[in-house]
Amino acid sequence: MKRILFGAVAALALTAGFAAAEYPEKEIQGIIQWGAGGSTDTVMRSVTPHAEEILGGSVVMQNMTGAVGAIALNYVAEADADGYTLLMGAENPMLYKVMGLGDRDYGEFIPVSLLARGTPLLVANNDAPFDTYAEMIAYIKANPGEVRFGSTGPGGLPSVVTAMINAVEGELDVIAVPYDGDGPALTGLQGGAIDVMPAVLGAAIEAVRAGNMKALAVVDLTENDKLPGVQSVAAVSPGYATYLPWGPFFGVFVKKGTPDDVVAKLSAAYAEAAKNAEFIELMEGRGFTLMGISGAEADAFLSKWQQGTAWLLQDAGLTKASPEEFGIARPGQ
Amino acid sequence: MQKIDPDHHDGTSDATPGGEADKRRPGELAFALFLLGASAILLWNAYGIAGFEALSSPGAIPMATTAVMVVTAAMVALKTLRMPLDSTETLRRDILPLTVIVFAVLLVAYGLFLRTLGFLPVSAIFLIVAVKYLGRRSWGWTLGVSLAALAITWLIFRIVFSVLMPAGIVPEAEMVQALRSLFQGGAQ
Amino acid sequence: MTALMDFLTVLTQPQLLLLVGLGTFAGVYVGAIPGLSVTMAVSILISFTFSWDVHPAIALMIGIYMGGVYGGSRTAILLNIPGAPSAIATALDGYPMAQRGEAGTAIGVTTVMSFIGGFIGIGVLALAAPFVSDFALKFQPRDYMLLAILGILLVGSLSQGSLVKGIFAGALGIAIGAVGRDPLTFAERFTFDLRLMEGGISFIAVMIGMFGVSEALLQLHHVDKDAVRQKITRIVPSLATVKKHLPLSLQTSSIGVVIGALPGTGGDIAALMAYDHAKRVTKNPEVPFGKGAMEGLVAPETANNAAVGGAFIPMMTLGIPGDAVTAIMIGALFIHGLNPGPMLMIDQPDMFWFIVGCLVAANFFMLLFGLTGIRLFTKIVEMPRSVLIPLIMLLSIVGAFAVNNSISDVYWMLGFGIFGYFMRHYGYPLGPVILGVILSRLLDDNWRRAIISEREDLGRFFEGVVTSPLSLVLFVAVILVFVSQTPVWRWGKSKLFKES
Repeated sequence: MKRILFGAVAALALTAGFAAAEYPEKEIQGIIQWGAGGSTDTVMRSVTPHAEEILGGSVVMQNMTGAVGAIALNYVAEADADGYTLLMGAENPMLYKVMGLGDRDYGEFIPVSLLARGTPLLVANNDAPFDTYAEMIAYIKANPGEVRFGSTGPGGLPSVVTAMINAVEGELDVIAVPYDGDGPALTGLQGGAIDVMPAVLGAAIEAVRAGNMKALAVVDLTENDKLPGVQSVAAVSPGYATYLPWGPFFGVFVKKGTPDDVVAKLSAAYAEAAKNAEFIELMEGRGFTLMGISGAEADAFLSKWQQGTAWLLQDAGLTKASPEEFGIARPGQ
Repeated sequence: MQKIDPDHHDGTSDATPGGEADKRRPGELAFALFLLGASAILLWNAYGIAGFEALSSPGAIPMATTAVMVVTAAMVALKTLRMPLDSTETLRRDILPLTVIVFAVLLVAYGLFLRTLGFLPVSAIFLIVAVKYLGRRSWGWTLGVSLAALAITWLIFRIVFSVLMPAGIVPEAEMVQALRSLFQGGAQ
Repeated sequence: MTALMDFLTVLTQPQLLLLVGLGTFAGVYVGAIPGLSVTMAVSILISFTFSWDVHPAIALMIGIYMGGVYGGSRTAILLNIPGAPSAIATALDGYPMAQRGEAGTAIGVTTVMSFIGGFIGIGVLALAAPFVSDFALKFQPRDYMLLAILGILLVGSLSQGSLVKGIFAGALGIAIGAVGRDPLTFAERFTFDLRLMEGGISFIAVMIGMFGVSEALLQLHHVDKDAVRQKITRIVPSLATVKKHLPLSLQTSSIGVVIGALPGTGGDIAALMAYDHAKRVTKNPEVPFGKGAMEGLVAPETANNAAVGGAFIPMMTLGIPGDAVTAIMIGALFIHGLNPGPMLMIDQPDMFWFIVGCLVAANFFMLLFGLTGIRLFTKIVEMPRSVLIPLIMLLSIVGAFAVNNSISDVYWMLGFGIFGYFMRHYGYPLGPVILGVILSRLLDDNWRRAIISEREDLGRFFEGVVTSPLSLVLFVAVILVFVSQTPVWRWGKSKLFKES
């Protein structure tokens, strides 16, 4: 027992830098919005150790799941704005208001760093009677109410991509089978429980490479160099240009009101950490696009993302409340 | 009284810790009625989730299960009602002795003050009071055992597993940082 | 030949072997403390071993996993508080044995049986992984739903005393599992518009409260009585004992492997199903079930350790986690620059054999650490109750908080502790509540997926059940168990004709 304890303390001590009089004076809590083993968790746990080194402090990461991440968001929003509680999250909170999941979003936070964004990919079960995006659309139109799409609940990536497809191709009659995450849905896809799944590229790429499922199209303006030969949806239907590029993203946030020097220090640390070669290799291997933006640039990205997505869902009739109520302007206005 | 083992724990892990099968224990009827009432409220609440909207609605399974709860709770309540009261037992002695009430109150107080005072002070007070009350040993022994137990728990959960219990009035994060710097200094 | 070399990697490198051992040792303690879970330990290890090589990191994690699954049985036997959900069934017969002063025997049997189960799991992983994972993928939402119903029928096995009270408890469990925002539609269920309830109730918190706190409160009735003296004469079970239970352990291990390999079900469900199986096939146990039957230990412990090997099957062959721990390990492999997925076994077969090697080593360490230090462990139950009871309560509180770093889980835990205390007094079994909570989402989510896939058409749903061989087998099993094994049939008949 003693040995483990000592080892643990010693190893933790190694990661902590010199104790400085300025920030960080004590450990920082990193609240991860999603469960252990998920994409957000993996990204945060692989970038934070580099940031710790640069900060010269320790960041204790905890998973706080539940209510689509709203529990974690509220926890950080209710903590002191002193930079000792970080929110490590994904894109979902930007849709809480319109989906009726809460009255807070990233507007109450300062983006320390938006680390990366993902590209959605349409994958299908190997036995599905279509091999390309165009064939899929034709098949659905010929066989209404037969094709089963995986979904991860209102506001999740599949619902947004499906809304986009409906907006571009006209209303398609498909069955949306709900799953509680893209992992279980992709498992269901391989077993034939669903036929098509819009998923983030990184989650499906290994199974596609192994031939366990087939990629129909990349939901992007151009092909992706990780999957050469898979067409982009924009190449088939130019209408997608209005909505793309679109994708989920990961970021680290602090509550508004955090002192500027603290935010600057955190931003610098995460910006530097995101340049680490191992981290870059890791992210690119999974098909994520590195962003590493903060400050005004990040704010602009967030509001553009929110406008586009919220109005897309509103027009698809998937929202609980209109984006207008929350002052989210229609894109292009 | 002689018929019932005062130990009340017959060695099975999950069965009745006392009482006789064909008699009603003190408070049993009240508990059965409470469950029936609570089940009815839950059924109503489950109906409120989505009504009879669809077989696949989020309220379908909750409605089915709470309906089962209402039916079974009603069956239990009826059966309990028909059983004669066990006259050898009293609520005060067999179901809710003073010690249990004291501890229930201690636990609730613990929950109430956990956030404001913080984990370390509340746990220290809880352990000292509980060990002293149950053991009735000297203060030195009580303090020693309680604080040692707390220290070990804190080290395992806080240091090894990074479980951040509410710090409350204790500057825990600063303490841990200082501890780490100390180790750091020692190592270099 | 290279496979053999990779398999032996861990055994030939003292440093790796030491890490597996260290992990297993730590795992036994992590598993034994309610609220400290293997999932948590492994996810902390990810940040911890970040800068390490991939081999030592995996070696340590596998040790913790194996030790942790086993460790849950310790507190279940000694204190009637399962250290982890997969040890719930172990408490049913293990604790009565400890009450009779036979904790040493119980732990000995548990250890040896865990070892046997562990090996069968690893064996299937090594020899038949692709076959089993193909089979596991065939499970459709309706099959998972039927599996959940089969699980819910275990209420009959877990209810000592009144079956009606057992059914109530099971339904209560399912309802508890539904509290919070529904993960599929985000609708609020049983939240009473309180934000505190949005996140739902952690079932670990329910388990710790119902078993830990309620047991501690119950113990208050006899603080002054001396603790049961444990006689630790024979720890290692005799060869005859092992031989006698070998057929059962083989059957329950198979249950463990398959349930473990299914994505979405794990050791907890496997152990409960195995317990039920043992209860049905054992005609004349020496001691009745629930009073300390040896078979009641053999079944869950072989099954939950066999489920470890099972959980690695879809992970290694498809990159699909078999349970929460393997999900985190996939993340770890990914962070260490490997690409866990279907190609892993083809691109890097060495990793597969290395993991199998680590599992084998961890299994041996588990046997070693399981059979030693029992004397020290049993001292815990011999501690004065005036110290033990407050300590159990404190550990329950910290443990409930640790699950999701949430104070509301502590409140739930305390609430269910006090509620469970009354349930015990009035003869409501607690096992079915936990069973219900565990199975709640499996049942609910998959029912909805299945019926949505058939466009809300019950006719088409049943057509699917009858035309798919797998569903049909499960459906028949459900009917058979319902009619013959739960006493509903006999009970219902006798009640109807006798009383009214």
